[in-house]
Amino acid sequence: MLLEGLELAKSFGGLTALRGVSFQLSPREVVGLIGPNGSGKTTLFNLISGVFPPDAGKVFLEREEITGLKPYQICRKGIGRTFQIVRPFLKMTCLENVLVGMVGTSGGNGPRQARQEQAMAELKFVGLSQWANRMAGDLTLIQKKQLEMARALATRPKVLLLDEVLAGLNPSEVLQALELIEEVRTRRGITVFWVEHVMGAIMKACDRVIVLDQGQKISEGSPEEVVSDPAVIRAYLGESDA
Amino acid sequence: MRLVGLALIIGGAVLPPFVLNQYWLHVAIISLFYVMMASSWNLIAGYTGQVSFAHAAFAGVGAYASGMLALYAGVHPAVGVMAGTLLAGILGAALGGLCIRMGGIYLSLTTLGFSEILRIIITNEEQWTRGTMGLQVPGLFTHYSKTSYYFLFLGVALALLLLMRWILNSDMGLAFRAVLNDELAAATSGIHTVRVRLLAFTVSSAMAGMAGALYGHYLMLITPDIPSLGQMFLVLAMAVIGGMGSFAGPIVGAFVLEVLSEYIRIYGEYHVLLFGLVALVIARFAPEGIAGVASRSGWKR
Repeated sequence: MLLEGLELAKSFGGLTALRGVSFQLSPREVVGLIGPNGSGKTTLFNLISGVFPPDAGKVFLEREEITGLKPYQICRKGIGRTFQIVRPFLKMTCLENVLVGMVGTSGGNGPRQARQEQAMAELKFVGLSQWANRMAGDLTLIQKKQLEMARALATRPKVLLLDEVLAGLNPSEVLQALELIEEVRTRRGITVFWVEHVMGAIMKACDRVIVLDQGQKISEGSPEEVVSDPAVIRAYLGESDA
Repeated sequence: MRLVGLALIIGGAVLPPFVLNQYWLHVAIISLFYVMMASSWNLIAGYTGQVSFAHAAFAGVGAYASGMLALYAGVHPAVGVMAGTLLAGILGAALGGLCIRMGGIYLSLTTLGFSEILRIIITNEEQWTRGTMGLQVPGLFTHYSKTSYYFLFLGVALALLLLMRWILNSDMGLAFRAVLNDELAAATSGIHTVRVRLLAFTVSSAMAGMAGALYGHYLMLITPDIPSLGQMFLVLAMAVIGGMGSFAGPIVGAFVLEVLSEYIRIYGEYHVLLFGLVALVIARFAPEGIAGVASRSGWKR
């Protein structure tokens, strides 16, 4: 087991965002996390990456408990992430963005020259090498997403948390992004945990899908199993009158 | 071309004691003090986004620590300056540790409070500080000469600027800018954001302490004006008008405002009003400051 969550719960004031969600990810798996708006997907990512601690429950990375660690510690343990609303460092160049990911983690050791080359390699991997010296603020949306991915990859993660990387992309860009995710798994051997609303993409790319509704896990299995699960259909479309 | 520029800069830096009269040489020395203050304040405010109002207070810590050591313990001023720098750094680390996690406006308010508390203590502990009458302290040189002070201030200012330049070009500088751009994204990229900001705060406070200590030994009279908010806002105006977050900005701002304030001295306190207006105009029409406008219109920085 690479990453494991046990009975994770979180509420904000009177609003319960997650009530006892457990999950397990195996090495090199691509697992989708879906559910209607407000079902707790991003909250689950925030608990895993340490943005805030869970009220109850535990998170393990390679059997080591990481619950309640700070974001920078969790990143250094090997969990990288991107954000639903992209957050590159806008007033820094693309190359510098990626270098930040290396400075904070084990990737930051070694001579400066080697690191620059490594960072360039990450930019090339996501297809941004011509943009290395441009400001991140000048990029288009998909490029900003690619840059976030490169920055996360530069931290040398074992698990990559992707929060709606496809949102706002046009169909050809979606295909591009899907190829990239597949390469992250096959060429880099990284496990991907992936929140997404674009169902077609999830069906195509994921080994397994977890469905959340109102803070609870209501279904889990292969993409085909999940979409035919009555509980999932009910959650998305509501109760049938018939 | 570069060599010519370098020669001009070196010439311009070395020349003043030989061409300026004593009064303008004094203005040049004070300007160099403000270069140290505004640049080191820019290190935290411009590069890590922490608007501290305690920078003048740390200059006061340096000035009073060094001055009182010389006066009451007979410590040589040169050693006193080091002690003042160290004390300002330690207090900076303590204050930073207290308020950095709060961030934003709360950090500004806490540092404002610290600054005022320090000024009130200094004003009221008359038996030690002689309050508003000011404390007479020995100078750094046995033979008083503005020329020696000019070169001392020039040397220290250059050393501090080079140190800042080195920090900003290092991994630490990269982390500073990442934290300024987006704290959460920096943290999830493995940057220990609290430590980064605390380090910037400590280094910057120590630099203010050193600048303040030198300033005290130059004037040979230290008063609660050094750690006052008036002083703080002058430093802030220099950084903002010159160009916050750029390396050259605070240097330009320090010279421009110090020289300007000499010309409008006759209008008394109205010069504060004028600085406020200038800062407002700059903020509205040229938010990157003088340095920003200069580099945009094609000058080399």
